Amino acid sequence: MQKWLCTEARRASGSLRLAVLGAIVAAGFLAPVGAQAAPAACAALQEKYPDWKGKTLVNAINPHTPGYEAIDPKDPSKYVGFDIDLGEEIGECLGFKLTYKAVTFAALLTTLASGQADIVISDIYATEERAKAGDFITYSKVFDGVLVAKGNPKKITGINTSLCGAAAAENTGYVEVPLVQALIPECKAAGKPEPTLQLYDNNANCIQAILAGRADTYVNDVNTVDNAVKAYPDKLEKAIAVTIPYSVGIAVPKDKPKFREAVLAVMMEIYKSGDQAALLKKWELDPNNLKEPGLLTVN
Amino acid sequence: MSLFAHYLSLPYLLEGIEVTLQVTILGLFGGLILGLILAWMQLGRFWWLSAFARGYTVIFRGTPLILQMVFAYDALPHIGIKLPAILAAGLALACNEAPFIAEMLRSGVLGVDRGQVSAGQALGMTPAVLMRRVIAPQAIRTMIPAFGNETVSALKNSSLASVIAVQELTLRSTQLASSTFDFFSIFFASGLLYLVLTGAVSVIQLALEWTLDLDRTSRQRKLADYLPFYLPWRRADLATKLALADNAAPAVDVAAAMQPDIPLPPARALTREDRAKRAATIARNNIAVEVKDLRKSYGTQAVLGGLDMTVRVGEVVALLGPSGSGKSTLLRCINHLEEWDAGTVRVGGRRLGFSDHGKALTPRAVANERASVGVGMVFQQFNLFSHLTAKENVAGPLRWVHGMTGIDADRRARELLDRVGLSHRADALPRHLSGGQQQRVAIARALAPNPSVLLLDEPTSALDPELVNEVLEVIRRLAVDDGLTMIISTHQIRFADEVADRVAFLSGGAILEEGPAHEVLSNPRNPVTARFLSVMDAEKTPETVR
Repeated sequence: MQKWLCTEARRASGSLRLAVLGAIVAAGFLAPVGAQAAPAACAALQEKYPDWKGKTLVNAINPHTPGYEAIDPKDPSKYVGFDIDLGEEIGECLGFKLTYKAVTFAALLTTLASGQADIVISDIYATEERAKAGDFITYSKVFDGVLVAKGNPKKITGINTSLCGAAAAENTGYVEVPLVQALIPECKAAGKPEPTLQLYDNNANCIQAILAGRADTYVNDVNTVDNAVKAYPDKLEKAIAVTIPYSVGIAVPKDKPKFREAVLAVMMEIYKSGDQAALLKKWELDPNNLKEPGLLTVN
Repeated sequence: MSLFAHYLSLPYLLEGIEVTLQVTILGLFGGLILGLILAWMQLGRFWWLSAFARGYTVIFRGTPLILQMVFAYDALPHIGIKLPAILAAGLALACNEAPFIAEMLRSGVLGVDRGQVSAGQALGMTPAVLMRRVIAPQAIRTMIPAFGNETVSALKNSSLASVIAVQELTLRSTQLASSTFDFFSIFFASGLLYLVLTGAVSVIQLALEWTLDLDRTSRQRKLADYLPFYLPWRRADLATKLALADNAAPAVDVAAAMQPDIPLPPARALTREDRAKRAATIARNNIAVEVKDLRKSYGTQAVLGGLDMTVRVGEVVALLGPSGSGKSTLLRCINHLEEWDAGTVRVGGRRLGFSDHGKALTPRAVANERASVGVGMVFQQFNLFSHLTAKENVAGPLRWVHGMTGIDADRRARELLDRVGLSHRADALPRHLSGGQQQRVAIARALAPNPSVLLLDEPTSALDPELVNEVLEVIRRLAVDDGLTMIISTHQIRFADEVADRVAFLSGGAILEEGPAHEVLSNPRNPVTARFLSVMDAEKTPETVR
């Protein structure tokens, strides 16, 4: 591909253009992390979806999830993680660059809907409720972990009646919130006290709530839970992993079906080429998360 | 906590400070501009502007800033206004700060003594000049502490911009905490950074207060003044100082205060022949002030009930009568400091404050007319501009209203201060002058533009008895030596007898009796006048008039 581009350039104009193109191409080959997108397929996709070539798009993220998206502790001016690499690779393939907008989790989709962002790749579960605010390209299965204090003093075994009378920390807007709320009548029926919910803005605050003894559990993506346990091995532990009937999705604006189509096509390429599996490995995420890309849209 | 120092100097967080400052500055300056507009709307003459400003205040003071941030960021794009995050945050903060700043400005402006505003108006200052030269300089001094508060609160409130993706200090701290799990070191570090910022605001505030301290600039204090306890002789002096502190009076330049006022040569007394001659001359003179059927009431309370009065050029008229008889109101109407319900007032043949067709003029036009017709006014409470020295009180209005050059205005001010025997106190602030001295400066100020008529509203009533004479002496000289046209409301019967050509006795907003001063005062025909005079006599007014 490099060869082809260079010839093309030489034919088209002088050496300056050649130098510029050469630099771009060289940068393009240095930038991707670990994985190589199928070059031929990307060239075809760029031809089919040329609208985003050379553009800079805004990716809204909630960068509080190490492994998926968080700032690089070594260089806080950069965001790193599975989702970040995935987004870069999609951009690479369609020819656009990404800048990042850090917002609270609850503001991810509103930021997208108000046009302040073009895409959301931030470990967000695709639900029908959320699909009212944006279309989803699903790309990963969901496994939740139950984070508790060391020794699991309340003997919590998942989102079930073991949560009755316990305090659960969650982020505003998380899908786990209604699941915990749904336990209230169950606990009542069993003659047990209701579970209480504490709503925070990011993972760090939820984890701190357990460390401070304010909350008994935090149910979230299993990898996030694992990372928390890694950071505080003496104080925290993962009680159990539970399956949740959702997929993780990339959100795009509802009024841009062409963009949705393009992102889905690229995701299919990344999935088929094995790049997605390689990325999971690179970020030490469970390979069982791998899932064939699909769509979730509602009208 | 080991990484605390590392986080303190982390460029990532320091850049966050920059963003925090950008949002704060946008919010404060935007808020100041909006606040100025809101305050202007509320202080202005138009009720609908004021109502609009009230409505704005209710909405933006009554809703949380965090909602306003989200609105500016997420709702405005729906109507086509897509601001960058920092600008959206700045806009929300500005809209939120505006009502608070407007209230500060309003209370600052309303806190300036109304008497000084009246004095400025009487000197012919337009509303703009009055605002810039009299109200603002004093209001700003009183508002600095509140502004310091507001700046600190805006700085802290800027952290709410983290909800709309502005990469300021708080958002950067939480992101860093999320990725490193090093929660406390990071928040202690960012807390300390905020403290440094707010500490700097406090230092700036104190420095401004120090710079604008009138007492400091007027006394040109030396460093030693600030180190009293390090100097042995100062320590010995402390007892005296404490004793003096009981007076709670600001320290006065002792040398100047002790120096006796330059004595004024007494005005010569008028003989019976002099009086007759004066009366004959005045009778031939033009009319200076003509009041016809003047009526005014506050609600149902009538203050002036169809009052008529004519004053000729060179004539001195004393207005006598009990409190509430309408003396002050009459004087304020002549100068159009007050509106009335019916009747006409002419000064020098012109209807002050009305166009040729009898239409009311704008405050600005009235001010210009006052300056050109030349009606000076002296108030019972002196009403000197308290932020200006004696000389500036006289010279300032000459420059601002009459367009005199600085040199000419200064020369004129010195000349007039000399005339009232206060040239040695030219650089003193009003608060460092005695009441009598203040009133003499006020007289000099009123005389400076060469008014055709001087109105004096109980000029000695607020003075301690021993200070009354120095002021009366100045007025007496104006009447006898300079032949100035004056209308004086007073309770000093003997003074009126000596100085006035004519006295008018007011009661219930009308003139009960008027005539040549000596005649009316020694032989009042109206029983009410007689009773009033005998009461005043019995009280034995403390002053002794030469």
